[in-house]
Amino acid sequence: MTLLPRSLQGRLLILVLCVVTGVWAATAAMTWRDVRHELDELLDSHLAQAAALLVVQQAGEVGDGHEAADVPTLHRYAPKVAFQVFHEERLALRSPNAPDLPMAGGKSFSPGFATVKIEGIAWRVFAAQGAERDVQVYVSERVDSRASILWAVLRSTLWPMLLALPLLALVSWWAVYRGVAPLRKLGGSLAKRQPQALQPVVVAGAPSEMVPLVDALNGLFDRIARMIESERRFTADAAHELRTPIAAIRTQAQVALGESDDALRRHALESTLQGCDRATRLVEQLLTLSRLEAGAAPALVSLDLAALVRQVIAEAAPQAMRCQQTIEVEAAAHCLVQGDPILLAVLVRNLVDNATRYSPQGATVRISVAEREGRVVLLRIEDSGSGMKSGDIEHLGERFFRVLGTGQGGSGLGWSIVRRIAALHQASIQVRKSTGLGGLTAEIEFPAQLIGQYPVSPQHA
Amino acid sequence: MRILLAEDDPLLGDGLRAGLRQLGFQVDWVRDGQAAERELRAEPYAAAVLDLGLPMMDGMEVLASIRRAGSATPILVLTARDAVPDRIRGLDLGADDYVVKPVDLNELAARLRALVRRAHGQPQERLTAQDVVLDPAARSVLRDGVPVTLPAREFDLLHALMLNTGRVLSRDQLEQRLYSWGQEVESNAVEVHIHHLRRKLGTALIQTVRGVGYMVQRENPSP
Repeated sequence: MTLLPRSLQGRLLILVLCVVTGVWAATAAMTWRDVRHELDELLDSHLAQAAALLVVQQAGEVGDGHEAADVPTLHRYAPKVAFQVFHEERLALRSPNAPDLPMAGGKSFSPGFATVKIEGIAWRVFAAQGAERDVQVYVSERVDSRASILWAVLRSTLWPMLLALPLLALVSWWAVYRGVAPLRKLGGSLAKRQPQALQPVVVAGAPSEMVPLVDALNGLFDRIARMIESERRFTADAAHELRTPIAAIRTQAQVALGESDDALRRHALESTLQGCDRATRLVEQLLTLSRLEAGAAPALVSLDLAALVRQVIAEAAPQAMRCQQTIEVEAAAHCLVQGDPILLAVLVRNLVDNATRYSPQGATVRISVAEREGRVVLLRIEDSGSGMKSGDIEHLGERFFRVLGTGQGGSGLGWSIVRRIAALHQASIQVRKSTGLGGLTAEIEFPAQLIGQYPVSPQHA
Repeated sequence: MRILLAEDDPLLGDGLRAGLRQLGFQVDWVRDGQAAERELRAEPYAAAVLDLGLPMMDGMEVLASIRRAGSATPILVLTARDAVPDRIRGLDLGADDYVVKPVDLNELAARLRALVRRAHGQPQERLTAQDVVLDPAARSVLRDGVPVTLPAREFDLLHALMLNTGRVLSRDQLEQRLYSWGQEVESNAVEVHIHHLRRKLGTALIQTVRGVGYMVQRENPSP
C-alpha cells in the first residue's frame, strides 16, 4: 500500500506523525522558553555579581597613574566572557578580549543590563559603577555562549524524540499494515472470485470492525444467489409452460395428418384447437403480467367493487355452469374502493377462474364483497374444491408455479397477476383453507376508502 | 412394440399416444411419476417416454429409482427443460436419450426404435433372420426379397422374436410385449399368430420350444 491520502494506512500514518510531531514541537518550545528564562536569570546574576566584585575591588586598588592592564587568560573559556574597568573614564583593567572603548554600544554609561554588538558579535553586558561614580565596570558575556548552553540542554532532551519519530512512523506503518491485512485479504479474495461464485466470504481473524462489512457482503451474495435462482427457475418454468402447449399442438396436428379414421382425426383436430386456446391464454397472461411489472402505477378512481364483481361473475358463470358448478355472490349494494376498474376486473376474473378451474364438477364457488369495520373492503373467494397444501400455498404467486397433477392446463401466472394487481392497490391477500366450503379461501382486503368521493361504474369487466 | 408414456399434460399425452399408435407402437399412458415407476418396475416395456415435470414423483427420481432397481428398459426423456445441466443430469441418471419438446412424432418413433435396437445389441435398423428381413421403420417384411403383408399384431410378434434372436420367449412374455392396457387378449392369441406367421414365412423360422415358448434363430438349423 502506498501513502496516498486516500489510503487508510496513509491517513493513519500522517495523523499519527502529525500529532507526535506537534507534541514534540510544543515540548521543545516550552523547554526552550523555560530553560532560556532560567539560564538568563542565572547568568545575569553571575554577571551582576562579578561586576559588583570588580567595583568593590577596584575602589580599593585603583590608584592614579596606573596604566591600563590586561588580565591574563586563565581558562580556555575565558574568551567567552569579558570585562572592563574604567577609572575616571580611563580604562584601568580589562580582560584580553575586551575592547578599549566601553562596552556600551557607543552610548553613554547607563547601569544595568544591555545587549550590544561589538565587532559584529552580540554581548550581554552588565554595567555598574562605584559609589563615587569614578569607577565604571562592564562585565559581559557572549550571547552565543548562552545559546549554545540552551542548545546543549535542548539537544539532550530533543534528540531521543527526533530519533523516535522515524521509528514511530515505521512502527505505526507496520501496525496499520498488519491491522488492515484482513481488508486486503478480503479484497484479494473478492478480486479472484468468479461471477457465478456466490458462496459466503470467510475472512479468518477479521477484526470486529470488519464483521458488519463481511456480513453485509455475504447478505448481498445471498440475495443475489436467491435472485439468480429465482430467475433460473423462471426461465426453466417459462420454457416448460411455453413449450408444452406448442408440443401438444404440433403432436395433435401431426396425428390428425396421419389419421385415416374420421372420428380420431376430428378428435386430434379439436385437441389442436384446444392447445391453441391454451397457448393464447398463456400468452395473454404473460403479456398482462409483463405490462403490470413494467407499467407505472395506475390511476386509481373510486369504484363500486360489488358491481364490478357481479359483472365479472356474469361472464364467468356460463363456463362454471357447464361443469355443473354453483357460483354464489354475496355483495352489498355498494362497496367503494379506490382502484383501476380494468385491473380489478382482471384480478377478480383470475381468482374466479382459479376457483372454478381447480374445483371438481358440481362444486360450489362463493364470492362475497363486504365492507368491514374501519371501512375496509373485503373480497372473499371460496370454493369447495380439494384445496391446497400449506406448502403449496406459500408458492402461490411465484411465476409459473402450478400444483402438478391437477390435470388442468392453467398458465401458472394467475396468482402472480393477482398479487401484482393487489400490490398496486395496496390490498393485502390471505389464502387459507376454507372453513365453510372445505376448499380454498382467498381474501383480498382493500384499504379504507376516502370519504367524500363519488363512485364511477366499472367501464370494463 | 409396447412402450410406456409418462406425461402429465392431458393434451400432449393424448396426442403422443395417438401418434405413436399410428406409427405402430402399443402405448400405455401414465400421468404421474409414481405410476410410471411402478409400471416400469413391473412390466417388460420395450422402451419408455418420460416427461420430467411429473406430479407425485419427479421424472428424474423415477429414472434414478428404476435404475437403482436394476431395470435396463431404454428411457427417452421428453421434456421442456433444455438447460445443459438438466440434460447432463438426465443422461447421468440413466436416460438413454434426451429430447426437448416439441418433437416430431416420426423422429420420436425413430429414436425409440433406435433405443430398442441398441438395447437388443442390434447394430442395424433392419433385422435379418434366415431368409426374412424385417424393417421396423417401414413396418415391412421381405421373404427372399419378396414383400410379405402382415397384420399389425403378427408384425409385432415377429418383431419381438427377431429382436431376441436366439432367445426363447414365453407366451406370457410375448403377450406382455404385444398388448397394451385395455386390449383383450384371447387365451390362444399367440398360438394363432404364430400359426399365421409360419404359413406366410415358412415353418423353419419360428421354432417351438416345448413347454417354454418360441424362438427365432438367425441361421436355419436344418438347411
